[in-house]
Amino acid sequence: MKKVFSTICALALLASMTACGNTTPGTDDNASTPDTPASQADDKSSEADKPKDGKKTTLKIYAFTEEVPGMLKKYLEMNPDFAAQYDLDVTVVNTTNGEYQPALDQALSAGGKDAPDLYCAEAAFVLKYTQGVASSYAAPYKDLGIDDVEGKIKDAKLASYAVDLGTNPSGDVVGLGYQATGGAFIYRRSIAKDVWGSDDQKTVEEAIGAGSQSWDKFFDAAEELKGKGYAILSGDGDLWHAVENSSDAGWEVDGKLHIDQKRENFLDLAKKLKDNGYFNDTQDWTEAWYTDMKGEGEKGVLGFFGPGWLINYTMAGNCGGEKPGEGTYGDWAVCTPPVGFFWGGTWLMCNKDSQNKEAVGKMIEWITLDTSDTGLQYLWANGTYDPANPTKDVVASEVVMSKSDGKVAFLGDQNMFDVFTECNKFANGKNLTPDDEKINSKWRDQVRQYTAGNKSRDAAIADFKSDVTDELGIEAE
Amino acid sequence: MSVTNKKKDVPFKVFAYTFCIFLTILSLFPFVIMIVNSTRSTNQIQSHAISLIPSHYLVNNFKVLTSKTFDPFRGFLNSLIISVGSTFCAVYFSTMTAFALVAYDWKLRKPFFTVIMCILMIPAQVISIGFYQFMYKIGMTNNFLALILPSIAAPATVFFMRQYMIPSLPMEILQSARIDGAGEFRIFNQIVIPMMMPAMATQAIFSFVTSWNQLFMPSILLTRNQLYTLPMMVALLNGDTYKTEFGAVYLALFLTVVPLLAIYFLLSKYIIAGVALGGVKG
Amino acid sequence: MRYPSSAEALKKEVPALAKPLKGISYAKYGYLFSIPFIVIFLIFWLYPTVYTCVLGFTDCKGFGNTSWHILENPLDNFRDVLKNNSFKVSLKNTIIIWIMNFIPQIAIALLLTAWFTSHATDIKGKGFFKVVFYMPNIITAATVAVLFRTLFSYPIGPINDLLMSTGIREAAYNFTVDKKAAKLIVAFIQFWTWYGNTMIVLISGVLGISPDIFEAAEIDGANSVQTFFKITIPNLKTVLLYTLVTSLVGGLNMYDIPKLYQDGGPDKATLTTSVFIQQQAFSGSYIYNKAAAASMIMFLIISVCSAVLFWIMRDKDEAKIEKEKKLARKAARKAERSF
Repeated sequence: MKKVFSTICALALLASMTACGNTTPGTDDNASTPDTPASQADDKSSEADKPKDGKKTTLKIYAFTEEVPGMLKKYLEMNPDFAAQYDLDVTVVNTTNGEYQPALDQALSAGGKDAPDLYCAEAAFVLKYTQGVASSYAAPYKDLGIDDVEGKIKDAKLASYAVDLGTNPSGDVVGLGYQATGGAFIYRRSIAKDVWGSDDQKTVEEAIGAGSQSWDKFFDAAEELKGKGYAILSGDGDLWHAVENSSDAGWEVDGKLHIDQKRENFLDLAKKLKDNGYFNDTQDWTEAWYTDMKGEGEKGVLGFFGPGWLINYTMAGNCGGEKPGEGTYGDWAVCTPPVGFFWGGTWLMCNKDSQNKEAVGKMIEWITLDTSDTGLQYLWANGTYDPANPTKDVVASEVVMSKSDGKVAFLGDQNMFDVFTECNKFANGKNLTPDDEKINSKWRDQVRQYTAGNKSRDAAIADFKSDVTDELGIEAE
Repeated sequence: MSVTNKKKDVPFKVFAYTFCIFLTILSLFPFVIMIVNSTRSTNQIQSHAISLIPSHYLVNNFKVLTSKTFDPFRGFLNSLIISVGSTFCAVYFSTMTAFALVAYDWKLRKPFFTVIMCILMIPAQVISIGFYQFMYKIGMTNNFLALILPSIAAPATVFFMRQYMIPSLPMEILQSARIDGAGEFRIFNQIVIPMMMPAMATQAIFSFVTSWNQLFMPSILLTRNQLYTLPMMVALLNGDTYKTEFGAVYLALFLTVVPLLAIYFLLSKYIIAGVALGGVKG
Repeated sequence: MRYPSSAEALKKEVPALAKPLKGISYAKYGYLFSIPFIVIFLIFWLYPTVYTCVLGFTDCKGFGNTSWHILENPLDNFRDVLKNNSFKVSLKNTIIIWIMNFIPQIAIALLLTAWFTSHATDIKGKGFFKVVFYMPNIITAATVAVLFRTLFSYPIGPINDLLMSTGIREAAYNFTVDKKAAKLIVAFIQFWTWYGNTMIVLISGVLGISPDIFEAAEIDGANSVQTFFKITIPNLKTVLLYTLVTSLVGGLNMYDIPKLYQDGGPDKATLTTSVFIQQQAFSGSYIYNKAAAASMIMFLIISVCSAVLFWIMRDKDEAKIEKEKKLARKAARKAERSF
C-alpha cells in the first residue's frame, strides 16, 4: 500500500517537474512573443504573396452579414482585371448572440496566413476595433493606397459621426461605412388608414408625436391602436434601439458602468408596453418578429423603429412578398420618430498585417468613398446594385444621396430619402462604447425579467450591475 | 418494477411495453420533426410547426441553404476527417494501452492505471485556456491535428477496453503465438485486435459521436471558415441570416445527423448484441 | 488513494497473466505499448493543465495580451472568483441541472437494464429499443439545442402551437423568460441525450456478470427484484462507478446545451461554470487569469467529488484480499529465487 502510494507520488512529482521545466522557458517565450507571431506572420504571408503563375491571391474577408461580401463580389464582377488577380474567401459569422467578435478576435490575434485581410465591425462594437483594445490591428486608410483620405471624406460629405467612430487614437481614419443609419418609424399604411383615416406621413407623425422628444404621445397612440385591436410595436427590442441610441451617455463613463437616465427609463416604457399589451411581445431577430413584418402575428403591428438598412436588409425579405399586393410589400411608409436615434452601421477595416493592402484599399475606397455613378453607394442608393432585389438604401455620402432617387416600391413609392436625411441629423457617436454588444444583451435580459414580472425594478438594475461587474470586469459607478 | 417470477405477469408487461414505446416516441420525436419540417416551406412551418405530413419543398429548401455561405459538404468533410482520425487514434491506442495493462507484468503498471483513472477526471473544457495558449504558441491553431492527436490519450476508452480485455483475452493464445516466433507488435495487431472487435466497435461509436459533436474546442481552435466543422456551422445557424428560412434550417440540422445515423446503423449490431464488460469467468 | 476497480481487476488478472517464455522478460513491452498514451498525455493534457493552473496565479488578461506576471498576492484571482456572484450562481446551476438530469437518467437506465437483461422477463424487440434509445446521443448537441430552442420559441412555436391547439393553454407561454422552465428544459435535454448511452454501458456491465451467479440465485428462489438488488447491483459496482464518474465529470462541465440553448440565460438561469469560464476567457472579455482560476476551482471540485465517489464505492474486502495476495506473491518470488 505504502509502496504504491509512494510510486504515485514520485510519478506525480516527476510529471509536474517535467511540466515545470516546460513552463519556465514558456514564461520567457511569453515575454518576448509580441514580435514573434508578427515576424512569423510576415514570413508566411510574404511566401503566399509571391505571385504564382495562374494562381489567384485570396483575400480573406470577415463579416457579420452577407451584405459586404455581396458588395465585394459585385466589385469583382465589375472589375474583371481585379477578379483575374484576386478571389475572395468569405467568413460570415452572424452576431445575434455575439458570436462574431470572438471569432474575429481569434482570427486577428492568431495572425499568420489565416488572418483576415478585410473585416467589418458593427456600431455596437466598432469602437473596440477602431479605438479600443483591438485598434492596433486596423491599418490607416492612407496606408492602403488611398490618396488624400481626408479630402475625399469632405468631398463625399460623409456624416461626421461615422468618421469620428472610424478614427483611431492617433488621428488616422481606419474604418468607414457606406450607410447612414439615422432611424425612422416605419409604419403600415393600411393600419394607419384604419385607425387615423389616413396613411399620410404627416398624420402619423402627428399621432405618434414625431420630434417631440418624449414618448407620451407615442403611448397615447398605442392606446388608440389597442382599441382597434392593433399593436404599436412588435417587441420591446424595437423600442430599445430607439432609446439606446438617443441617450446622452453610453454604458461606460470613465471606465465605469453608467446607466443613462433615458436607458433606465426604458424599464418603465417596456413594462408599459407589456402590461397594456401594446405589443406582440416578440424578441427581435426571432421568428415571431419576422412574422410581424409579414403582418401575420397575433395582432397587426403598426410599425418598427429602424434605419434604412432595416427596410432593405430585413423587412423586404420578410414581408412575405416581392411586389405590391403580395404580403405587406408596398404597405409601408416612413416618418420621423418621436425621439431621434440611430441604429447600427457597418465599418470596413483592413488588417495592418495584410499583404494585400492595395487590393483591399481599392475595394474599400469603392465602397466607402467613391461618389461616382459606378461607386457602390450610388448603386446602393438607387437599387441598381442587385437587379433581383432592387431595394434602395440610405447611404453615407450626402453627395450621393442628393443625386439619387429615393422612391421605393416597398414603401408605396414614397421618397424615403427625404425622411431619412432628416433622421440622420440625430445620429451621433457619443453614446457608443466598445462593449455595447455584451452590455446590451445583459441589460435586455434584465428588462425582460422585470417586464415579465419575475423581479422588481430595483432588483433588475442591481442584478444588471453585478452581472456586468462579475462577467465583464467593468465596475459599476 | 413488479414481481414477475416465471409466470406471465400481464400488468407488468403492459407497463413495460407502454414505457418503452413512450421512450421510443420521445427519442424519435425530434428526428421526425426535423425530417418532416425539412420538406416544408417556411410559411407552412410558421403557421403550424408540428406536422407529420411531409410537403414538397425539400429541393427548394436545399437551394436556399446552399445559396448562403452554409456549405454542408465542406463541414461534413471536415467533421469526418476529425472524427475518423480521432476515433481511430482513441480506439487503436486505447486498446494498445489496455493491452499493456493486461498482458504484461511491469512495475509501474498499477500506478499507471491509477493515473489513468485520475485523468478521467480532467475535464477538457477546464484546461481549454492552457490548451489554447499552448496550441497558439506552437502554431497549431487551424490544424486538425490539434483536435485529433489528444484522443490518443483517452482514459475512458482505456478503462472500457481493459475491463473487456481481462476476461476475454486468453493468454494461452499469446503464448503459442510467441512460440511460433511472432513479435509482440504482430501479436497485438493480428491476434489481439481482431479479438477485441466487439468492444472496439462499441467504443468506436462512442468516440465517433463524441468527436463528431465536439463544439467547444473546434470553435476555439479553428478560425478559417473552410475548416469549420458541421456543429460549428449549426451553431451559427442561430444567426439572423437564416432565421427567415425555417425549412432550410431544419434541413441543415437534418443533414448534420445523416452521416451519424448511417455510421450508427452500420455498427448498431454491436449495441444490440451488447458487449460484456468485467469478468465473465467469475 | 485506492480504487476498488484496480484491486478487483488485479484479483482477476493475476491468474490470467501469461508466463513469459524462458529467459525473456516481456516487461519492457508494457512500457513500450504505453508510450503513445503517456507522450500524448504529457503534451496535450498535463502541460495545458499546469499552464492553466499557472495562469490562475497571474495577471494575464486582455485581448492579444501574451505577457504576464505572477501576482503579488497569487491567490487574488481565486478569491475574486469565489466572491464572484455569477460564478456562485453558475456553480449552483451546474449542480442543480446535473442532479435534475442524472437521477432520472440513472434510474431509467437501470430499470431498462434490468428489463433487457432479465432472464425471467422476455421483452420482445429489445434490440430495436436499445438502438432507438441510444439515438438521441448521436445528434450533435448544437443541433439539439437549436431544435429545442425552436420548439419552445415564443410567442410562435411548436410547443406553444401544441398547447394552444389542444386547449391546454389559451395564450402562448413565454418559455424564454421563465428561469425554471429554462433549467428544466436544459436538464431534460441532457437526460434525453444520455440515458441511452448510460443504459448501453450498464447492460455491458451486466453481461459481464457470470451467469452462474444468476443461476445460483434462481435455484435459491430469488425473485427478479431480489436478484437485481442483491446480485446485479453489487456486481455492477465498477461499471456503476465508471458511469457515475464520467457523468459527474461530464455534468459538471456541461457546456454545449446551455450555451446554445439560451447562452446561459435567461437571467443566468442556465449559466453553468463552463459557460461562465468560456464567457470570461473567450467571448470578448479575455479575462484569462480569472477564467483559469475558475477552471482550477472546478477541477478541484470534480476531483474531490470523484474521490468521494471512489471512497463510497470502495470494496471493503478488496484491501484484505489484496494484502494477502501480495504476501503470497512475495513468498512465491522468494521461493523462486532460492530455488
